[in-house]
Order: sequence, then C-alpha cells, then structure tokens
Amino acid sequence: MGEMMSDELLRVENLHVSVEGTPILKGLNLTINRGEIHAIMGRNGAGKSTLASVIMGHPAYNITQGTIHYKGSNIEDMEVFERARDGMFLSFQYPAAIPGVQVGTFLRKSVASVRGEAPPPREFRKELKDAMENLSMDRSFLSRYVNQGFSGGEKKRLEILQLLLLQPDLALLDETDSGLDIDALRIVAEGINSVAQNTGCLIITHYQRLLDLVKPDVVHVLLDGKIVQSGGPELALKLENEGYDWVEALV
Amino acid sequence: MTSYLDASLPTRSEHLWRYTPWSRVHPTKVDELPAVGELVIESDNAEIKLVSKKNIEHGNDIARIFLDNVVEKTHVLTPENKTTHVQIRAGGHAVAAHIHIESTQPSSVMFHLTGEAEWVGLWLTGNIHSNSQLSVGLINELSSESVLVRTDNWNVERDGEFELATLSLGGQRIKSDIRTTLSGSNSTHNQFIAVHGHGTRHDDHHIEIHHQQPHTNSKLTVNAACDDRSHSVGTGALTIDDAAQHTDAGQVFRNLLLSESARAEAIPELEVMANEVAAAHGAASAPLDAMQMHYLMSRGLNKEEATAMLVEGFLVDSFVDVRSDPVREAMQTRLTVHLECQLIG
Repeated sequence: MGEMMSDELLRVENLHVSVEGTPILKGLNLTINRGEIHAIMGRNGAGKSTLASVIMGHPAYNITQGTIHYKGSNIEDMEVFERARDGMFLSFQYPAAIPGVQVGTFLRKSVASVRGEAPPPREFRKELKDAMENLSMDRSFLSRYVNQGFSGGEKKRLEILQLLLLQPDLALLDETDSGLDIDALRIVAEGINSVAQNTGCLIITHYQRLLDLVKPDVVHVLLDGKIVQSGGPELALKLENEGYDWVEALV
Repeated sequence: MTSYLDASLPTRSEHLWRYTPWSRVHPTKVDELPAVGELVIESDNAEIKLVSKKNIEHGNDIARIFLDNVVEKTHVLTPENKTTHVQIRAGGHAVAAHIHIESTQPSSVMFHLTGEAEWVGLWLTGNIHSNSQLSVGLINELSSESVLVRTDNWNVERDGEFELATLSLGGQRIKSDIRTTLSGSNSTHNQFIAVHGHGTRHDDHHIEIHHQQPHTNSKLTVNAACDDRSHSVGTGALTIDDAAQHTDAGQVFRNLLLSESARAEAIPELEVMANEVAAAHGAASAPLDAMQMHYLMSRGLNKEEATAMLVEGFLVDSFVDVRSDPVREAMQTRLTVHLECQLIG
C-alpha cells in the first residue's frame, strides 16, 4: 500500500465538471502513477481538454462532484501557480501569445518560480542551449515575444521546451501533436520521451502517429464526459482503423 | 510675443482642454504669471547651446503662450550621427525650458526628465531637415507630486523621417500636447507612447499630426496601463490636407485597466480632405486577458508576478516598432526597472 501511494501521482474520482452551467465531465475516474504514460482519445467535444484544464486548475471550470488528488492530497483549493510549483505542467493546445514579453525572459522567470529560486545564469544558459538544440530550435527564439507570430509548430516546440526545462512530475499534453510536420513530431516526441521516465504523462491526442513515437502504457477512450474504455496501445490502433462507433455501441 | 495676461483662457468645450483644464495644470492661479526658474539641461556627450529664445509659433494655445512668457532662453541641440543623452533636472517650485533640435543627419536623442519640482514646463521643438532621420525618446520620471506641462512642435521636411517615443512614468498630473507637421512630401512620422498609471496619476496626451504634402506616412501607438485610481487620456487629431494625396496614416490607442477605479479615455479624431489616402484609427480598453493570466500562472507565476509581466509586455509592446535601437532599448530598460521597483515597493 505504501509503495502504491508513493508511485501514485494523480487520482481522479467520480469527477463531474461544468462550464457556465453546462456539464462536461460526468463521473470520470483516472489514476496515473509516476513513470506511466496515459493517452486519452475521443471525439471532439468529449471533454478531453476540459479534463486537462480542470486538473491544472483553470478557474472557469467548476467541479460539481468528485475529487482530484495529486501526490496524495486533494488539490481542489490549490491555485494554478501552486500546482505548477508542485510539479504539474500543462502543454496547451492553444498557448496564449504574450506581446512584449521575450521568450528568454519568460523562461527564466518561469523556471525560477517553479524551482523556488533563480537558476545561476551560466548554468541556466547552458541548460537552455542544450534543450533548444535537442528540439532543433534556433537561439533567435529567445528574443521573440512569447507565441506572438509563431506558427503552430513553433508554439508546440516552445511548449515542449518548457516541459524539458521545468521537469514536471505530472505532464498534461493537450494535442501537442497538432500542427506538427513529420520531422517536428519526431523531435517533440523525443522531448516527451526524455522526461517520461520520471514523470506521469497524460497525452491527449486524436491520432495514432504520436503514439507510434511515444509508447503509452494505457489508452483511454473518453465519450460524453466519461472514460468508457481503457486498454493497451492496441486500443489506439483499433480507434485509428475503426473510429469511435464501436465504442459507442458498447456503451 | 503675445502677453499671457492678455490672452483669452480656454474653456472646457475645447477638445484640447476638455479632460485636463488649464487651471489644473497652471503653476498657481490662471490669472497670474508667476516667476518660473530654469530647468537644468545637461549632456555628457553633446554640446547644447544656450541662445536667445527662438520665435516659435504658439498657435494661440494657452500653454505655449504661457511658456513663451516665462522662458527666456532656448537650448539648441544639433545632434551628430550618434545617440545624444540629455538629462533634464527639475528642482524648486516652478521650472521650465525650451529645447530646440535641428536635425541634419541620422541621429538619436534620449531625454531623461527627473526631479522634485512642483511644476515643470517643457517645450520641445525641432526641425527634421530634408533626408534627415531623427529618433527622440523622452522618459518622464518626475517625482510623484509634480505637475508637467509639455508642448511639442516638430516639423518634418521632404524625405525626412522622425520618430518620437515617450515613456510616461512620473508626475502627479501631466498634460502633453505634441504636434507634428509633415510639411515635405515623402516624409514619415512614427510616434509611440507608453503610460503607466498608478496611484492617482492623471496623464493626458493630446497628439496632433498634420499631413500637408503627398506621399506622407504617420503611425501613432499609445498604450496606457492604468492601475489604482489613475486616469489616462489620449486624444488624437489627425489632419490630412487636400494636397496630401497618397498619405498613409494610422492611430491606435489601447488601454489596459488594472483596477475597477482606474479610468481611461481614448479619442482619436480624423479630418481627411484628400481622397486617395489610407487613414485608420482604433481604440480599445480592456482588463487583463484571462487566458494570458492562466498561461503565466500555469508556469508558476503568482497573480502579482503574472500581472506585472503582462503590464510590462503591454507597455514594452508600445515601442516594438521604434527603429532606433538605443532609443528602444533605453525605453525598455527604464520601464523594466520602474516596474520591478513597483513590484518590490
């Protein structure tokens, strides 16, 4: 039991969530242990992004029933920044642009906030250089404004760069593969794999192609606000080939 | 010279004085012409000549007539092909100065206005000669009790390029009236203003840009971040004469409201007599963007840190198109220092 508790990062129980009075999640259960990669697939509007947002603590989402435990504690009252400082990371499907704020400044402040102290400049420069090289990112990125004028692929690379620098305990990756060409997808997947060993990962995706490169331990199907089917990587292949009708028929 | 005491005072029905009446920025009482001392103006890397006061057209504007009455000399600067740094220091009860720039070659001038004076009058004028390029930056870091009356008159000749950046951080009550005339064809003027409203600051910028000749271009960007009980006013008056065909002009006023008690007005006005022109204007006031806040907080920044970063970004963005690197970097550096001090303080 003690062993299980130390490995368990996230436990979502009977989660019901609504937005402006509209129910989105309707009794969702999910447990992620450290070192596990979970993939969630489902039709548009099934509640996948809502799940990621509510775990991260987005204030627009209202938990009407159920609990989210992270590292053994109920996190309902934790602010977004407190969750981030406690090792939670969300790679956004649509990351916000921040005009006037350079990527380099943003990364330095973010890393200092999450680690609790500003990293020594020389060490941070090296760390940043290595991470950017791993993601084939040009140094000129650092002087650009955060996500402003970025292509879809550039935004996703910046998200993964933050993943590498922040080294979270729990990574929520919301459609990180969208907008990426084949080469960029491979680079991003390598980035995810490099942190996955010590991290619990929740990958939200529509496509098998990312899961060819980042092997999930568990694949879940989210339908109308509930996980209705879970299985191994073969489940994602079946969904890719046959769609969601057969899952719906089972329910 | 028109005597101030004989001049008629403006009423609040006049566009220029609607939001900040002259009586609120006069150093004493409006029917008085008090003794006014000299601002201290120094530069470490350029010669500034003090000459008899230049005769500048005041256009019956009461602030210019007042300054014309109280200022006795003109500080003349002829910048060379480098960046000139000018310190303007304000001490005592009431101080004023007239600074004139003759620009004949590509150059940048950075003004830094500081001091504790209760009242400061600053009249900037300049002539950007044909084919010349001038970039001017002005950082206002007056004490939190000061009143500033600023009037500008700039003239841009044929093929001249003039950019003017203002970072308004200090002072309690500010009235700026900045006028630029594009008197030569193919001339260009870009103006950038960033205002940080905090406490009970009242910051009123009136910007007039007058296109007199064809193929002239202008762009105005005003970003005001208003916190606490501050009040920002931005009024633009863009005039395109009938001779100024093929003009391209745009004005954008953006206000970021950081508290429920902060207020901001943005009133761009256009007067277009030519028919083959592109003229655009826009104004927007909004609170902090919830998605941006959530994004920054998801990266570990608390509410205060995220707000500070968004405010800094919003104001830095005012200067993103400043072409002079020294001017742009000076503005951004001072802004960062100012906001970090605010966050700590």
